[in-house]
Amino acid sequence: MNKSLQPDLLALVRDPIDQAALIRHVRAAEDGAVVTFDGCVRNHSHGRRTLYLDYEAYESMALGKIREIAAQIHEKFPIHLVAIAHRLGRLEIRETSVFIAVSSAHRPAAFEACRFAIDTLKRTVPIWKKEYFEDGAVWADGEMPPAPLETRAAKPAS
Amino acid sequence: MALTAQAMARHTSAGYNSLVSLSSQTARVKVLFFGRLKEIVGQSEDSVELPDGAPIEALFSHYGANHPELARFRASLVASRNQEFAAWSTPLHSGDEVAFLPPVSGG
Repeated sequence: MNKSLQPDLLALVRDPIDQAALIRHVRAAEDGAVVTFDGCVRNHSHGRRTLYLDYEAYESMALGKIREIAAQIHEKFPIHLVAIAHRLGRLEIRETSVFIAVSSAHRPAAFEACRFAIDTLKRTVPIWKKEYFEDGAVWADGEMPPAPLETRAAKPAS
Repeated sequence: MALTAQAMARHTSAGYNSLVSLSSQTARVKVLFFGRLKEIVGQSEDSVELPDGAPIEALFSHYGANHPELARFRASLVASRNQEFAAWSTPLHSGDEVAFLPPVSGG
């Protein structure tokens, strides 16, 4: 678990993400590694030229799911701190949509935790992007979050 | 729990959607729409009255009946109740917040 008094930094933002601030936040004297992931807006999608993207979120739930990811990586990997920021609204080509920084005493934990964090975010956090092209716009193909199993209306008494 | 045709009547004069007659025990829930669902339904938020304990599935059917295009997306949607992913059979009670979530595409 997180032994530091300084908490993780987890946020949804509308302004450009300050990557240096997130790195500074997680980087401490006991850390030997900081691994970062910079998710950026690409200028093409399925062979079409992308003009810009527009992100929207179910904000209260998205923040809750990002907090769950932070808790999960503290449990699974011997890391120190994590910072995750996802930007919402209109983003231009080359801008950062999501940034993750993970610090740890030794590099394997930071690499693995960072990878786990972005992979889980893309699968479980309720954020959607609309892609704008020269000839129209589409909601990006997404991933279906893992849904809870359906239960029967009447459960047998135990 | 099946909703009767009468129960599905919309009481628009009351200023909100109602799936039930006002005499039975009811629950008022908040419903949120995102992404393409918001575009199909034409609103991001709604407030609905339904029988207390009715499943999320019944609430979705209410919107699906009014928006056939929405019903077509059913297989690719996940439901949430109070900011947690929830089974379609989850019973609803007053004050619950429900959302129908298209496949997520953050990152």
